[in-house]
Amino acid sequence: MPENHRFRRTIMWIAIVAIAAALLIYAMGEVVRLLIIAALLAYILDPVTTFLESKGLSRTWATVVVFIGIVSALALGLLLMYPVVTREIQSLQTTDSASRTTEIFSKLETSIKERLGFLGLENMNLNEKAQELKGKVGEKLIVFFVTDFVSLVAHLVAIPFMIFFLLKDGREMKKLLISRVPNRYFEFSMNLIYRMDRHLGNYLRGQFLDAFSFGLLAAIALMVLQVKYAVFLGAFAGLANLIPYVGPIAGGLLSAVVTVLDTGDLAKVGYVVLAFALVKLADDAIIQPLTVAKSVEMHPLLVLLVIIIGGQAFGILGMLLSVPVVGFTKIILEEGITAYRKYRFA
Amino acid sequence: MNTFWGNIFRNRATTTEEEKILDILRKIPLFEDLTKKELSAIERILHKRMYQTNETIFNQGDPGMGMYIIERGAVEIVSEPGKRTLAELHEGEFFGELALLDDSPRSASAVAKNDCTALGFFQPDLFGLIDRNPTLGVKIVVRLARMIGERLKKCNDQLEQTDLVKAQES
Repeated sequence: MPENHRFRRTIMWIAIVAIAAALLIYAMGEVVRLLIIAALLAYILDPVTTFLESKGLSRTWATVVVFIGIVSALALGLLLMYPVVTREIQSLQTTDSASRTTEIFSKLETSIKERLGFLGLENMNLNEKAQELKGKVGEKLIVFFVTDFVSLVAHLVAIPFMIFFLLKDGREMKKLLISRVPNRYFEFSMNLIYRMDRHLGNYLRGQFLDAFSFGLLAAIALMVLQVKYAVFLGAFAGLANLIPYVGPIAGGLLSAVVTVLDTGDLAKVGYVVLAFALVKLADDAIIQPLTVAKSVEMHPLLVLLVIIIGGQAFGILGMLLSVPVVGFTKIILEEGITAYRKYRFA
Repeated sequence: MNTFWGNIFRNRATTTEEEKILDILRKIPLFEDLTKKELSAIERILHKRMYQTNETIFNQGDPGMGMYIIERGAVEIVSEPGKRTLAELHEGEFFGELALLDDSPRSASAVAKNDCTALGFFQPDLFGLIDRNPTLGVKIVVRLARMIGERLKKCNDQLEQTDLVKAQES
């Protein structure tokens, strides 16, 4: 059966190329990470640029206008948030805040000893441990800003630069990629590339809209409950929602911890948890079906394993991208095999 | 202009090769009466492919992706099995245009009769063009519908003629 043998050989070559590509990406690490972030943001901004193009602007000018819009929005956001941020930082640094934190930890320790004393929890020294942790976090922040500042600035320049050219010349780049494919596989490859592009674009834009909506609802809920740093916590929850299972829990947990540290009111923590549960329900029932075009249809255990592996290999970015990458590899293989069977590679 | 700004705001003056392609496109019914700017927009999304003698462009039964315009050389449209030559097309002629509308299987194979260059105009690019330039996209789709309508009328006329002849013979 020569056709079966050829098919198996083709699949083997595809697998070898995919593994080699994955190893190369892992080895190149930082550069690839920047390119992936830039490509993701370019995917999200593409419909806006295309819309401006449909109104008569050239691709270049449409890209310039989108960039001006984003820079203006960021500048406005910074201007509005700056007084809020400085006020919050100052409040963190005052002795009132520090002594209230000490009081909260003392109350918490007493409460735990009373209720869970049978576990033999005596000298937990929560306050000392919290101070130690605060010190370590402070040290890490200083190290980050001093030693990693240069690379941070380089990233802040490199990423917009990459986004601009990916947005402006992305179509030409795709055309160039397709032009290198041999004639025998030309239509098949073009079909596959366009389907992948469409799926990935729809999925990423859907996820972005979903994260934005979740973050907005969470921020509103926290503001209603008068939780401190509601906007930041909402933004964090929105970003964390991009990571399945882990993200929503992390977002809710952080808000609960901040509420405990700020007020010590466990009843309020309960309301915060309830608010997050309701926002998550609204997300699952209303927002996701409208925004996320097609789920990746993977078993929850597989999703969790993929997130853990992605996190270990590439950190936070790995956790964010591991599920869509595996999901789309699955789609590529399924569509690729179906399309391959339709084509006669004579 | 230095390289950085030149790359962003490059002035796209047409080259001799592009002028030749625009001349070929002007003669295609699908693109007749388009302005030079519109033809340039089409030229930018064409895929130039080079085929050697007897190389297959697409096989009968393959999902259709789009049409090909012959820039140079000749192409045979072949029916399988049996390899019966249905038509021979030359420079400036086109084939496969129905695949712009759907991906139903190709009704025949296309094989390069000699070394040839073909310009591919494909469905995904047409849909992208409709998004970016709705006016131009709709113009092309309307012309395509008209071409298919005329072909249908011709088929109906031929069928009527055949029925008439059969009726007269019997």
